[in-house]
Amino acid sequence: MYADYAYLIVGLPVLAFILTIFFGWHLPRGGGFLTVLATFTGFLISAGIFLETFPEKVVHQSMHWFATLNVGILIDPLAIVMLLMVTFVCTLIHTYALGYMNGDPGMARYFAEAGLFTAAMLGLVYSDNLLQLFIFWELVGLCSYLLIGFWYRKPSAASAAKKAFLTTRVGDVMFLAGIILLYNNMAKLGLPEGTYLLQFPVIYENLTKIDPTQLTLVSLLLLGGAAGKSGQFPLDIWLPDAMEGPTTVSAMIHAATMVTAGVYLVARMFPLFYAAPYGLLAVAYVGGFTALYAATMGLAAFDIKRVLAFSTVSQLGYMMLALGVGSVVGAAAVGVSMFHLIGHSFFKALLFLCAGSVIHAVATNDLREMGGVGRYMRWTAGTMAIGGLALAGFPGTTGFFSKDEILVTAWEYGAMTHDYLPYLFGIVAALLTAFYTFRMWFLTFTGEPRSDYHKHESPWIMLGPLVILAILALFFGMPAQERFYETVGNNFAHYGVDFEELAPIGGHAVEHGGEHGEETAVHEPFIIKILPILVGIGGILLALLFYSPWKKLDIRKFVGEKDLLRTILVKRYYQHEIFTAWFAETVVYGISLIANIFDIRIVDGVLNKISETTLGFANSIRRVQTGVIQNYITALVFGIVVLVIVIKLAMEVGL
Amino acid sequence: MISNAISIMIAVPLIGAVLAFMTRSRGQARLVALIASLVPLALALQMYTEFDKSSKLMQFVESYDWVPSIGVRYTVGVDCISFPLVLLTAIVSVLVVIYAWGENHRPNQFFALLLLNEVGVLGVFTALDFFLFYIFWEIVLIPMFFLIGIWGGPRKDYSAIKFFIYTHVASLVMLLAIFALYFTYRLPDGSRTFDMLTLLQATSDKAIFPPGLINAIFAGLLFGFLVKMPAFPFHTWLPDAHVEAPTAGSVVLAALLLKMGGYGIFRVILPMLPHVDKAFVTVIAVIGVLSIIYGAFLALAQKDIKKLVAYSSISHMGFVTLGAVAFTWLSVQGAMFQQFSHGIITCALFMSAGTIQHSVGTRIISELGGLADRMPKFASLMLAAFLASLGLPGMSGFVAEFMVLTGSYATFPMYTLLVVFTSVGVTAGYHLWACQKVLFGPILKKYLEIHDPHAYEILAMSAIVFLTLLFGLQPALITDMMGTAAHQVMEPVVTLSQMGVI
Repeated sequence: MYADYAYLIVGLPVLAFILTIFFGWHLPRGGGFLTVLATFTGFLISAGIFLETFPEKVVHQSMHWFATLNVGILIDPLAIVMLLMVTFVCTLIHTYALGYMNGDPGMARYFAEAGLFTAAMLGLVYSDNLLQLFIFWELVGLCSYLLIGFWYRKPSAASAAKKAFLTTRVGDVMFLAGIILLYNNMAKLGLPEGTYLLQFPVIYENLTKIDPTQLTLVSLLLLGGAAGKSGQFPLDIWLPDAMEGPTTVSAMIHAATMVTAGVYLVARMFPLFYAAPYGLLAVAYVGGFTALYAATMGLAAFDIKRVLAFSTVSQLGYMMLALGVGSVVGAAAVGVSMFHLIGHSFFKALLFLCAGSVIHAVATNDLREMGGVGRYMRWTAGTMAIGGLALAGFPGTTGFFSKDEILVTAWEYGAMTHDYLPYLFGIVAALLTAFYTFRMWFLTFTGEPRSDYHKHESPWIMLGPLVILAILALFFGMPAQERFYETVGNNFAHYGVDFEELAPIGGHAVEHGGEHGEETAVHEPFIIKILPILVGIGGILLALLFYSPWKKLDIRKFVGEKDLLRTILVKRYYQHEIFTAWFAETVVYGISLIANIFDIRIVDGVLNKISETTLGFANSIRRVQTGVIQNYITALVFGIVVLVIVIKLAMEVGL
Repeated sequence: MISNAISIMIAVPLIGAVLAFMTRSRGQARLVALIASLVPLALALQMYTEFDKSSKLMQFVESYDWVPSIGVRYTVGVDCISFPLVLLTAIVSVLVVIYAWGENHRPNQFFALLLLNEVGVLGVFTALDFFLFYIFWEIVLIPMFFLIGIWGGPRKDYSAIKFFIYTHVASLVMLLAIFALYFTYRLPDGSRTFDMLTLLQATSDKAIFPPGLINAIFAGLLFGFLVKMPAFPFHTWLPDAHVEAPTAGSVVLAALLLKMGGYGIFRVILPMLPHVDKAFVTVIAVIGVLSIIYGAFLALAQKDIKKLVAYSSISHMGFVTLGAVAFTWLSVQGAMFQQFSHGIITCALFMSAGTIQHSVGTRIISELGGLADRMPKFASLMLAAFLASLGLPGMSGFVAEFMVLTGSYATFPMYTLLVVFTSVGVTAGYHLWACQKVLFGPILKKYLEIHDPHAYEILAMSAIVFLTLLFGLQPALITDMMGTAAHQVMEPVVTLSQMGVI
C-alpha cells in the first residue's frame, strides 16, 4: 500500500522546492518548515515501504519515457536503507537549518535548493535504470553547485562552486561514456523488442553475455564517475573547497548523502564490477589509497570543516575499499560497505552539525582561533566527542563495527590474494583518523580561548538533531549489524544474480575454490582482530599527548613550520597547482586561445583573402550598401525573374 | 481540421509584415506583429493535435500548379521531419516579438522584418517543391541582412555583407545542384519537375544519375546546408553576424536560420546518402566532430559573451551533423531533437546577452561581475539557460546529446568517445565560467544602479526555460514524431503520389 505512494518520496520535496522558491519570501523562516515536512513525510513513506517489503519483497514500478528508455522506481534492500537514511538525516539537517540559517536574507532560496537536493538524491537512490540514476546524479551535482555558491557574492564561494561542478563533471563524463558503452553492448545482444536496456534487472541478467573486456571498460568508466562524485583520488580536489557553502550543506551534501552516491553506484552495479576482470581491483586500490591519502591531509588542516572534509574523503575511501575487496567475499561486501556508509552518514552529519554549532557561536572556522569552547558549549562538545569516537572507531560505537568489518575483510583479501596493500592502507588510515579527529576536538573544545569569540550555546532547534544523531552514532551499530549484512548482502539474490557464474568471467575463481578451498576459510590471527581497536585508541591517545591540556609532547619538536612534509600536506600535495592552475587554466585555456588565433588568422583569414582578391570585397561593400530597401527588393525580384527566364531558355534549347 | 492550414500559416505573417510596415507608431507595429505571429502558433498547435505522429506520410498537403511550363508547383506539406521545426518556428517567432516589445528604432520596419523572416523560415520547412524551397530559402536572407545592417552594432556593414555574400554563395552552389537534378530527370511523360520527393526518389536510380553526377550534386547540396548550419570550416560568418546583430536578429538567426541547414540535411542529404560515395560519410562525420570540439574550445576563448554564445551554437549544431550521418535510429532522432532543443535554448542565451548589453552597457565578460546581486530574476533565468545549454539532465539539451552520442557510438565509436571526453567537459567549463564572471562575486560599484530588465524580457526568457524543462522531462511530446522521422529518412523516399496524398 505504501509502495503505491513511492513517487511522493521525490514528489513532495519537489513540491516544497516549487512552493519555497516562489512563495518562501513571504513565509516565516523562508518556508523551511515545508521542506522539513516534505522530507519527513518521505521518511514515513519509506518506513512504511520498509515494513511492507522487509525482508523478502522488492518494489518495481516502471513506465515508458521516450525512444527506448523508461523511468521507474526500484526499491530493494539496497535502496531502502539509503531511502531511510537520506530522508531521516535530511529531516534532521533541515530542522537544524531552521535555526542555523535563521536571519539569512537568502533563507527561502536555501530551503528551495535544499528541497530540490533532497528530491534529486532520493530519486537517484530508487532509480530503476542507469540513465535515470545519471539524471538525478547530475541534479544533485547541480544542487551542490548552487548550495556551495549559496553566498555567491563571495568570490571564493563562486569559484569553489564552479570547481566542484567541473571536477565532478570530469567524473560524469566518464560515467556518461560508461552508459553509452554499456547501452551499445546491451543493444548488440538482440534482446526482445521493448526491453529497456539500461534497467538494472536487465543488466544483471545479461552480464554473462557481454564481452569481458567491454565489462572492464564499462566498470572503469563507472568507477571514474563514482570517483568524481565521491571525491576519490585524483578527483578529490573539489570536496575540501566545497566547504565554502553553509555548514548544513556540508553536512547534508558533502558528508551524509550526495558524496556517498559514488559508493552507491558501485554497490548498485556490483555484479558488473564483479564480472569485470580488474573492475574490483581498481575499486579496492582507488578506495584504499584515497583512505590513506586524504587522512594525511587531515593532519595538517586548520579549518575545522576542512578537517572533516578530508575525513569524509578518507571514509568514502573505506567504503570503496570494502566494495573492492568483494572479489573474495562476493556480494557480502555490499553489505559491509553500505553499513559503513549508513553509520558514517550518522556520525559525519553529527560532526558537521557540531562544527556548524561551534562556527555559529564563535564565528570562525579556524581552529587556531578557538580553544576552550567546550566550557560554553557543553552539549555541542559532548555530542561532538561522541561523533569523534565513532569516526575514530572506538569500541562499541557505530563506526567501530563497520570499520572493523572492513579491515577484517581487507585482511582476508590479503590472505587470499597475497596482496596486503589495501589492508595496509586501511589500517594506517585508521590510526591517522583517530589522531586528527581528536586533534581537532582538543584544539576546539579544550585549553584556553585563543581569540575573543562569542560564548553561548546554540538554540535547541539545533541541539535536538545533534542529540538524536549522537544516539545513533553510539548505539546504531551493534543491534543492526547482523541483520543489515544479511539483508543488504543478499540484495542481488532478488534478481537471481549468480555470483558463482560471474566469478570465472571476473577471474575470481581461483580465490574462491582452487588451492585454498572453501573449507579452509581464513581465520585471522588474534592480532588482526584487535589491531583496529589498538590503532583507534592509540590515535586518540596520541592526540591527547600532543594537543590536549594534559599534553606531554610538543608537536613543534617533531615537525617544524617549514618542513617539506608539512608543506606538502598543507599544500594538499599541490593538487590545486597541478589540476587547476596547470591543467585547466594553462593547458585547456591555452588550447582554446590557440584555436581562437587559428580561427581568426587561418579560417577567416583565408576567406577574407579570397574575397579581397577575387571579388574586390572592399569595393563591393561601398557599392552594394545603398541603404534603400526598395533597391534590394527590386534586385531580388529582378533576380527571380532572371532565374525563371534562364530556366525557360535552357528548356527551349533542350538542355 | 483546417484546410490550407500551411498556406494560412505562411500568409498571415506576410500580410502582417505589410501591415506592420505601414503602421505609424510602435504600439501598432508591435501589436500587429504579436497577432500575426500568434496566428501561426495557434495553427501549429491545432495541427499538433491533429497530426498523426506514427505516419510516415506527408500531411496537410496542398498542391497547385504555379508555372506549369517549367514544372514549378506550389506544393507544401509537413511530415514528421518538418513538423517539429514548424512548431519551433511558430513558438520562437512569438517569443522574439515579445522580447523585442520595447524596440524603438524604426519599430515598424523592425517588426515587419521579423514577420517576413517567419514567412521565409516557415516556407523553407514546408515547401515540397525545390523552386519554392529555394525562393523561401533566399527570402530569409533579406530580413536578416537588414536586421543586421540597420539595427546592428559598430561593424554592422562588414558583418551584414559578409553574412549575405557567404550564405548567398552557398545558396548559389546549392541552386546549381538543384538545377542539375532538375535537368537530368524527366517524368515518364517527358516533362520536367521541381518536385522534391520525386527528384530525391530518382537519385537512387543509377541509370539516371551516374555516380560522378550524383556525387557532384550531393557535394553542392551539402555545401549549401553545411554553410547554413554552420559547420567547421564554413562557420566564420556566424560569430561576426551575431556580434553585430540586434538581439532579436541573433535569436532568429541562431534559433531558426541555422535549423534550415539541419533541415536540409534530413530532408535532402540523408535520403541521398546511401547512393553516394562512402567517403562522404567519413567527411561529414569529421566535420561534425570538429565543429563540436572546435566550437567548444573557441567559446572558451571568447571575451564577448555574445560571441561565446555564437561559438556554442557551432558546437551544438555539430551534434546535428554527427547524429545525422551516424545514421542509426537513435542518433538521427537525437540530431532532430537537437535541432529543436538548441532552437529553444539558444533563444534564452542570446536574450541573456542582449539584456546584459542594454542593462549594463557592455558584453565584455571581464568587465562584468556580480549582476545577480541587482538582477536576481534575470540571473536565475540566465543561469537556467546556461545550464540547459551545457546539457544538464532534466532539460532538453541533455536528451538530445544523449541520444546523439549513444546512437553515434554504434557507427563511430572512436569519434563519439572523442567528443564525450573533450567537448562535454569544456562545454561545462565555458558556460560556468561565464556565469561565474557575469553573475556572481561582489557587485561592481559602477553597476549599483542597474536592476532587473522589463517584464516582457523576463516573460520571454521564462517561457523558454519552461519549454526546455518541459521537453527535457517529457521529450516524448516531440520525439515520438522524430522516431517516425528517423525511420523515414533511412528508408527509400516515397513521393506524394505514391503516398496517395495528391
